[in-house]
Amino acid sequence: MKLQSKYPLSFVLGALVLYLVFFIIPGISGIVYSFTDWSSYRTEVNFVGLDNFRTIFSSGERYLDYISNTLVFVLVTVVLKTVFALALALLLNDAVKHLTHFYRTMIYLPAVLPMLAVALIFRSILNPATGLLNVLLRGVGLDFLALKWLVDPNIALFSVIGVDTWKGVGYIMVILLAGLQAIPKEYYEAAAVDGAGALAKFGHITWPLLTPALIVVTVLNVLYALRVFDIVYVLTNGGPGYATEVLFTAIFKAFGQGRYGLGTAISSILFVVMSGTGYFVIRLMERESVSE
Amino acid sequence: MKGQKLSRRDFLRLSALGAAGAALAGCRPTPTPTPSAAPTQAPAAPAPAEKVTLTYLVSQGWLFDAEQELGQKFEEQTGIHIDYQVVPSDQYFNLLKTKLNAGEGPDIFGGQSGVTDLIVQYNVEKNAVDLSAEPWAKLEDPLVSAQSTVNGKIYGLTLWATTATTWVINYNKIIFQEYNLSEPETYADFEALCQKLLDNGIQPIYEPISDGWHHVLWFPELGPRYEEVTPGLADQLNANKAKFADNPTMLTVLTQLKEMYDLGFFGENALSDAQADATKAMASGEVAMTLQNLTFSQQVENDYPDMKADTFGQFMMPLADNQVLNINPAGPTKFIYSGSPHIAEAAQYFNFLTQPENMQYLIDHTPTMQTLPFPGVKSKLLPNQQAFLDAHPERGTVYQTAVNYVNPQWMDIGKDLTAMFTGAMTPEDVLASIDSRRAELATAAQDPAWD
Repeated sequence: MKLQSKYPLSFVLGALVLYLVFFIIPGISGIVYSFTDWSSYRTEVNFVGLDNFRTIFSSGERYLDYISNTLVFVLVTVVLKTVFALALALLLNDAVKHLTHFYRTMIYLPAVLPMLAVALIFRSILNPATGLLNVLLRGVGLDFLALKWLVDPNIALFSVIGVDTWKGVGYIMVILLAGLQAIPKEYYEAAAVDGAGALAKFGHITWPLLTPALIVVTVLNVLYALRVFDIVYVLTNGGPGYATEVLFTAIFKAFGQGRYGLGTAISSILFVVMSGTGYFVIRLMERESVSE
Repeated sequence: MKGQKLSRRDFLRLSALGAAGAALAGCRPTPTPTPSAAPTQAPAAPAPAEKVTLTYLVSQGWLFDAEQELGQKFEEQTGIHIDYQVVPSDQYFNLLKTKLNAGEGPDIFGGQSGVTDLIVQYNVEKNAVDLSAEPWAKLEDPLVSAQSTVNGKIYGLTLWATTATTWVINYNKIIFQEYNLSEPETYADFEALCQKLLDNGIQPIYEPISDGWHHVLWFPELGPRYEEVTPGLADQLNANKAKFADNPTMLTVLTQLKEMYDLGFFGENALSDAQADATKAMASGEVAMTLQNLTFSQQVENDYPDMKADTFGQFMMPLADNQVLNINPAGPTKFIYSGSPHIAEAAQYFNFLTQPENMQYLIDHTPTMQTLPFPGVKSKLLPNQQAFLDAHPERGTVYQTAVNYVNPQWMDIGKDLTAMFTGAMTPEDVLASIDSRRAELATAAQDPAWD
């Protein structure tokens, strides 16, 4: 009985108070401020109802494009990171016998590099005229692949996605690898005895048992991608023109201009989208894992 | 056992509360610095007990090596160290405004002078110190100091060759001779010569769009032409009685600019070209023209001694058949942050910089600085540059200075123009966008003309 008794409330009180004061209360007051015209040009703050939201969703402004850029970013990075990370994790789990620790370290390494340094270096590498990538491609005769990575409005967003995927795939791979290693080998042996091929093993054993790890990984990816800022800011600053602006660069610009009410309104929209997405992804994958 | 359990619980309780307490202890309120009305005169022989460091936030391109060398000399004389924080130009205004809005400005900050900017962009009456009582304030060229004055108070020091620089098209005379080209006076002639150069494998113009501010110059620098075609336009725009979107000359200029981009006159890599490589591009001999200051040729010779300054000639931007010289009495200016704890030391630095021998040092050691708007300095314009200025007595003030709420949206216009080049916006969209941002800025500044 004593082992099952809960710890007293006083243990968690300190952390709870800090969390309330520095996260919950500012978050809620931020949402409240999004209904005002708070700005750096005036000292009074007036309640303006849904004006800020009307600005954001009106067709004359570009915010709907920013939202669509953010959603494209989310979708493509989640798919790319999960697919590549899963492939690498499967390889490192089974196929590769030697130097697995070395490969794991090298693949994970980009995740610990500072984002600012990575973005600045890639900005130089991806320069269409003098950057390393295009110089190499032209050197081996692949001129047609030497695209204008960060300055062509049609592919700039995908170049940013590429750099972000390169940086983040290691982190996801490590989580999936842990999930893979938790699957007991007996299942695979039993399946082999029953005559199952590699694809059947993956579909019937690996995938279902990996679902908890996949849920974690998807939620992490989605929430990170919705909040993306520094890589976009440094690589393109939302350019060329407005082709790669995402929600967070818009928030930064609004705050930089002193339009705090508008900035918090965009943040509130982001908050709603993130909460909703996180909830639905978890429910969706829980339902899948339960039905298996 | 029971005793062990309790003491472990107590230990955990204590450490949890201790950690929370330590974190909250960090929330001691910092003393808010009180802005002083005017900096006191520095004492004759200052010997500060602790080393004072002044932070100076400045955009790339506004700070020259000569000034940093003077900063070292200043440190040797007074012991005050200047920490120059240089920020890339496309991020500078975002960063400065964020810092000023957060109440954490650097001791000294750079900004463009021009009366609207002072109020809307930097809110100088709140964020900067009144420097009218400083010894150099009365000596500065009045046209120049007028651009850093609000309500009769001078807030900034403009150490820039504003009176002698103008943005003109610098062209390689050797290339022009090779293809029998002459200085164009109409857009049609200009377009024809660009096309001829392109057909012969020469890149007509070097236009660094990646910095975000350079390609904007083509538009507001033609202010004198807009004023020539529509006299009184600047005043009407300032009184909110006219709009950019209704002016046909402005539309012509933007349409011509878009045409120049589409025809490939700016080269293959215009969107990723940088201003920092402008001298390299012109020294290579593969580019014929670039829109730069009157004194750019000296900069090229300075960076690439084999390319002599007299290789380059100048002519005015011929868009919309312009033939009026564009002058800007405003320029990069230094301000002292009102919330700085070292206002007196910063004022000391300004006094030091404006000593005649130090200003002459700046002029002599900075290729682009031909003169300064103060008496007692010797200008170093080349004879042909002086001749160019003398040959064009008809001048006008550029629109980023003559019209309010234009300069604060410079980088935004840059984004719009890039979007126009890539086809995401039309020239009409860009003009409408400029008007709507002017309205936003004016309403935020509670300008009575926008009610």
